Amino acid sequence: MKRKPTLLHKALPKLLYIVSAIALWQALIMIFKVKEFVVPSPISVFQSLFSKELVAENTWWVHIRTTLVEIAVSFSLTALVGFFLALFISWSKLLRGIFMPVIAVLNSLPKIALAPLFLIWLGYGFTANVTIAIIVAFFPVVLNTIAGLNSVDEDLLDLIRYLNASKLQIFLKIRIPNSLPYIFSGLKVSATMTVVGVIVGEFVASSQGLGFLIKDSQAMMNTPPMFAALFLISAMGLGLFALIDFLERALMPWNTEKTGSAT
Amino acid sequence: MQDERKPLLSLKNVKKTYTTGGGELKALGDVTFDIFPKEFVSIVGPSGCGKTTLLKIIAGLLPKSSGEIIIDKEDFDISREVGFVFQKPLLLHWRKVIDNVLLPIEILKKDRKAMEERARYLLALVGLEGFEDRYPGELSGGMQQRVSIARALVHDPKLLLMDEPFGALDAITRERLNIELLRIWQETGKTILFVTHGINEAVFLSDRVIVLSARPSRMIESLDIELPRPRQQEVRVQPEFGAYALEIYKSLEIG
Ligand SMILES: Nc1ncnc2c1ncn2[C@@H]1O[C@H](COP(=O)(O)OP(=O)(O)OP(=O)(O)O)[C@@H](O)[C@H]1O
Ligand SMILES: [Mg+2]
Repeated sequence: MKRKPTLLHKALPKLLYIVSAIALWQALIMIFKVKEFVVPSPISVFQSLFSKELVAENTWWVHIRTTLVEIAVSFSLTALVGFFLALFISWSKLLRGIFMPVIAVLNSLPKIALAPLFLIWLGYGFTANVTIAIIVAFFPVVLNTIAGLNSVDEDLLDLIRYLNASKLQIFLKIRIPNSLPYIFSGLKVSATMTVVGVIVGEFVASSQGLGFLIKDSQAMMNTPPMFAALFLISAMGLGLFALIDFLERALMPWNTEKTGSAT
Repeated sequence: MQDERKPLLSLKNVKKTYTTGGGELKALGDVTFDIFPKEFVSIVGPSGCGKTTLLKIIAGLLPKSSGEIIIDKEDFDISREVGFVFQKPLLLHWRKVIDNVLLPIEILKKDRKAMEERARYLLALVGLEGFEDRYPGELSGGMQQRVSIARALVHDPKLLLMDEPFGALDAITRERLNIELLRIWQETGKTILFVTHGINEAVFLSDRVIVLSARPSRMIESLDIELPRPRQQEVRVQPEFGAYALEIYKSLEIG
């Protein structure tokens, strides 16, 4: 038995890596005297986070909260709607025959390009943002869940069919648990896409949030808050990813030996 | 003697033809036999003659093409009274061993709580005490197959259908499980229909061995094995044992 690595043990290399990257960044800026509106130094990026001036007409906290809530709401809806839609479509051959082509066609659309349309249909703000993020993100969950529900070994179904299992039982006892790994890999892809969708939504149809802040600061060539916003966004993305990873381990304890670290 | 009792299950002229893209395939030519309560019957036959097909038809997993399967109707509901041990263990890898064993209970909507005791007893019976909370991935092939036997017994079926359950195991494990199976059979009073490729295994276990011909299969022999019970490994070296095996071997050659 190996000793379990402590949290510090695991985090230390990553921390070192980040610190040296930031140091290198600062050094390069100072050596080459890069202008701040091109690439700001890490110090000014950090300072911009704490400046008392309003960024894009609001405090940092308002933007952060807006983006966080939008990500949380659109990802939860993506996961829920995606899962149940996949369940519905997988319920029978007939439903699959009707809906799979529709899904395939919709999935082939450049979804981000639809964002301006949703601005027209839903107006500025939260609803349009969340809708855009869902449209962008939800196909991986749907398609992966459908694949998982249908990738069951026929013999495994015989195992309970001879006991006259109902269709609901076949789904609950076999198809759904069998599809969990597929669902989680779909969720991970969707998580990244949700963040993209939310930010694009804020570019197009919002006056709040980190996406809006980036666009607004860009108009004034104010790069430090843009960089700060970028880091905050990727931290949110990583956080969401970590949350899914945690749920995956918690919900699939039989899998922990095999999967190891997913990041 | 046996024939005066009422059969648990009668197959009369059961036929099965598969229709595939490539045309028709006659798997079961014409199969007729009875199984009596508490009997241990083995089916041997060449590969591809339809043994798995036959078990699946009995279990209601496949439709037959023609013929009749008569079951002792009064108190024999086939979906509640059959336990099926498949050739592969087919454990659900996301369920702990005990939850795998309890799967039929959940499907049949019986009281899970009340049956947990029984599941533990059955796991002990197949020699897996202490493994209740492991996941199937942590067990060896032979242990997995024993879990699947416990699972097939958990809803207390009258009839056990076993499809080459020990086929994939090494000889030592297989012979040990044979002894265990006989013990379980004697302790629980089940009727067992056992498919195997092993002639010796069939003789060792059975009251009666049914020999099927190659496709389209017919029954070419039904041989009563009158070796004394309980049987231990020593039975295998008795001259009668060899004589029975030889007879089965010969009818397989002819058929
Ligand atoms: N679903 C199916 N569709 C078409 N043909 C099938 C199907 N299942 C089995 N068969 C064919 O029916 C025949 C009997 O198959 P079965 O699996 O019952 O044989 P078996 O006696 O169990 O063989 P083995 O001893 O190798 O397990 C084989 O020739 C097989 O190719
Ligand atoms: Mg077979």
